[in-house]
Amino acid sequence: MSKIYVRNLTKTYGGLKALNNVSLDIESGEFLVLLGPSGCGKTTLLRCLAGLETPDEGEIIMGEKVVFSAALNIMVPPGKRNLGMVFQSYALWPHMTVRDNVKFGLDVLKTPTPVANTRLDDVLGDVGLGALGERYPSELSGGQQQRVALARLLATQPPIFLMDEPLSNLDARLRMDMRVELKRFQSNAKATTVYVTHDQTEAMTMSTRVVVMKDGEIQQISPPDQLYRQPENTFVADFVGMPRINLIELTAENNVSPCYSNGDLSLDIGWVPGCSHITVGARPEDISIKDKTVSGEENFKISAVLPNGPETIVQLTRGKTTLITRVSHDSKFVEGQTVDLSFNVNALNIYATKTGSLIMRDPVEDLKAC
Amino acid sequence: MLKFFDSSLTGSGKFHKAITDPVNLVMLILLVILAYLVIWPFIQLLIETLTWGDRDRRISPDAVPGKFTSFYWQQATSGPLSRKMLYGPLLNTLITGVTATIMALLAGGVLAWCVVRSDMPGKRWLQPVLTLPYIVPSFAIALAWEAVFRSPKVGGQPGIYEALLGVGPPEWLSYGAFPISITLAIHYFPFAYLLVAGALATIDSQMEESALISGAGRLMTLRRITFPVVAPAFLAALILTFGKTIGQFALPFILGAPAQFHTVATMVYANLTLGLDALAFVLAIVLIGMSLISIWLSNRFVGNKTRRFETISGKGFRSREIALGGWRWPIFIAVALFAFVVGILPLILLGVQSIMLIDGFYGLENLTKHFWVGRSNPDIAFGEPGVLHNNIILGATWNTLKLAFISAIIASVIGLVIAYITVRRAHNPLARALDQIAFIPFLFPTIAFGAMYLTLFAEPVGPIPALYGTFTLLVIISVVSRLPYSVKTGVTAVTQIGQELEEAAELAGASWVMRFRRIIMPLSSSGVLSGMMVSFVGVMRELSLIVLLITPSTRVLMTVGFGYAEEGLTQLSNALVLIVAVLTIIGELILMWIGKGKMARLREKQS
Repeated sequence: MSKIYVRNLTKTYGGLKALNNVSLDIESGEFLVLLGPSGCGKTTLLRCLAGLETPDEGEIIMGEKVVFSAALNIMVPPGKRNLGMVFQSYALWPHMTVRDNVKFGLDVLKTPTPVANTRLDDVLGDVGLGALGERYPSELSGGQQQRVALARLLATQPPIFLMDEPLSNLDARLRMDMRVELKRFQSNAKATTVYVTHDQTEAMTMSTRVVVMKDGEIQQISPPDQLYRQPENTFVADFVGMPRINLIELTAENNVSPCYSNGDLSLDIGWVPGCSHITVGARPEDISIKDKTVSGEENFKISAVLPNGPETIVQLTRGKTTLITRVSHDSKFVEGQTVDLSFNVNALNIYATKTGSLIMRDPVEDLKAC
Repeated sequence: MLKFFDSSLTGSGKFHKAITDPVNLVMLILLVILAYLVIWPFIQLLIETLTWGDRDRRISPDAVPGKFTSFYWQQATSGPLSRKMLYGPLLNTLITGVTATIMALLAGGVLAWCVVRSDMPGKRWLQPVLTLPYIVPSFAIALAWEAVFRSPKVGGQPGIYEALLGVGPPEWLSYGAFPISITLAIHYFPFAYLLVAGALATIDSQMEESALISGAGRLMTLRRITFPVVAPAFLAALILTFGKTIGQFALPFILGAPAQFHTVATMVYANLTLGLDALAFVLAIVLIGMSLISIWLSNRFVGNKTRRFETISGKGFRSREIALGGWRWPIFIAVALFAFVVGILPLILLGVQSIMLIDGFYGLENLTKHFWVGRSNPDIAFGEPGVLHNNIILGATWNTLKLAFISAIIASVIGLVIAYITVRRAHNPLARALDQIAFIPFLFPTIAFGAMYLTLFAEPVGPIPALYGTFTLLVIISVVSRLPYSVKTGVTAVTQIGQELEEAAELAGASWVMRFRRIIMPLSSSGVLSGMMVSFVGVMRELSLIVLLITPSTRVLMTVGFGYAEEGLTQLSNALVLIVAVLTIIGELILMWIGKGKMARLREKQS
């Protein structure tokens, strides 16, 4: 019922394209996360949806209603779009009590006082602020302020939620708890949610789909697991995942064999992508190591061992190639040790080095990508 | 190194350490000196109004010099002269102060909104022009007003108004409450503007956007969000501006005295020239009382409300300009016109007036360079030579620069030391006392402060010589009156210097004096330098502070200019005030060039 369609949206700030021909369909009730490094246009896109920013080109449709169209010269003001927003700084009004902050939206809608009061009690109770209604925002902790911002969003029950890095002002622990709560409120309200963040953990854990943006353009739209397992280009592959993906540039040994190498490492990827220069994307967990049994030419040396709770990160070096792998916490590798290396070939993603885009295993696609 | 053995020291050892700690020593010395220069003068002023003076046998047969009496307070509050002495001037002060404050706040508020929150063009150069009226001496604006609206009925030559229209202006337009209120408003609106602009700049525009998303219109957002958020700051600005207007002396004197219109401040001066010292002191205390009440009120507002109105800003704070749309250029033209009329036109008028041979006669053949470069001519201005050949003026210029320079340096260094003590010894009650004493001069209207020093150094006290009539006295009062500002600047500078920088030097074995000289001073120099420049300009244009203490040998430009204006030598006083105005503008330009100057200025004006 509240599907959002974004069509060919463009927004320029003094020659700089903050949004470049962005198109996107957001399903009703979806939790869509806009993810990207700073300056990628994610906040601009959110502000365009809110109506706080006027795009130069394109159109936005919410449900049945065109809320923005450059061609038809339509620009519905923010208050008439029937949506709620949580700002990065929360934007609580410092001269109003918690209760008045939450009540403001209901006042604008001219909700009768008894109805408004019931709603306020419900919402404040829901977010756990029942007892703090008469406080002023500056008398609250960061987490409580965050809840007021949330209550303010929930009070008018809008079908669309917009959130601009709402958790970035909280400390790490609180952020974890709030993620769970945000998710709960969103699914109870069944609201279509667009959520901006630069924190990939937030994106992965909360979203139904993630939109990765860079330089005003959409790089990939996928559910989080697919985003991790099958990044569509090397930018996304590199941006998503902690520790970082290994991107290894290799050259074909000859045009028909699936063997590629770079002098330090040679790899049989098991199929022929049809390019001479490829970049292999290997997640740290897709490389496994074991103690060297037979001494040979292709041995990697461990240059660092970084224990990290349930897992241990191991850095390997050979010649100019450095790889990161993730092993179980109880493995006993030590720095300086030489190890054998094996790849989980089926999990690898192959990119054309020239374009940086994913080569699918369909041979017809392969030729185009190169 | 002694520090490491603290635990092994006995009680007397701790005491020994406490008094040999150079910081504590400096703190004690400063406390004693400042108490003598700030608190004692006030007490002495109070005593003067409550005891009989040496010459008072003429007034009352009961007078015994040095004995207690409530005679002066009775005379001022209930005697036959009380209407003329106290209640009339009090009423006038309130009327002109309130009117001027309201006008200044309206103009300042609207302009601040245009500059801070809207997308009005030309802000970069409009802003300095808009602060001009506050930079130039207030008395320049009064003289410019007089140049236009002077009325021959009161005496002297006609002004531009009469020359153009052929009829003299009505008297209410020339002298009294109306022109005083307007010119006070012109002088103080930049002050209000800076205060309101500071408050507006702290508004996170996400607060307004949030209201917009809730469905509130622009007007509702302005009414329910923007106004309430700035209201406390606005109110505080209102009261502070009022507090400033009541202490003004030169401006109401020029535009009021010819029509026998007196405010409390001008009455202090008038009484002293008549030799009614004790009465003048009573009025000075009344003035201080008004100032205290207004500052107390403003602190109450700021203290109770703004603390919880603190804009909560973390990451994501943004301030967006509001598009004026079609109003962009009309608003720009209106603001530019206003800036020209109040900022530049008065200076042009003074310049034109200063080259007219016969005042009030407008024609090309009447223009002369005499008042600037002429030699003494008995037919013109009682034989006073032009300002560039006038020994009095050359001496006064030298005095002005010397006074401003020495005072600015001393005030900055002492301010920095006090700031250091306040920041680093925050838990020591004596340090807090020192901070508070250094702030007290801010509470004294300058003319009242000058009156206090009149009695303080009249006779030698112990090792302190009689300083009345000396240049040293001018330096002392200028330094003390600048302390509230220079301490503020210093605190900001010292707070930014991490304690560990100093501890590192301490571990290297540097003494406190060396640490202060080698670490604190260089690191705070940029802030302190701009603070010094602010003081330099401030002292240069100061009149009411020192007008009571000046003797012929210690004349400065402002007092010479004021003297000429009193004698009716318009061209000379205009020329002099113009020189001071140009000097202060140059000072401000240097400040802007230093860069951080703007910050320091804002700080001064918000304190």
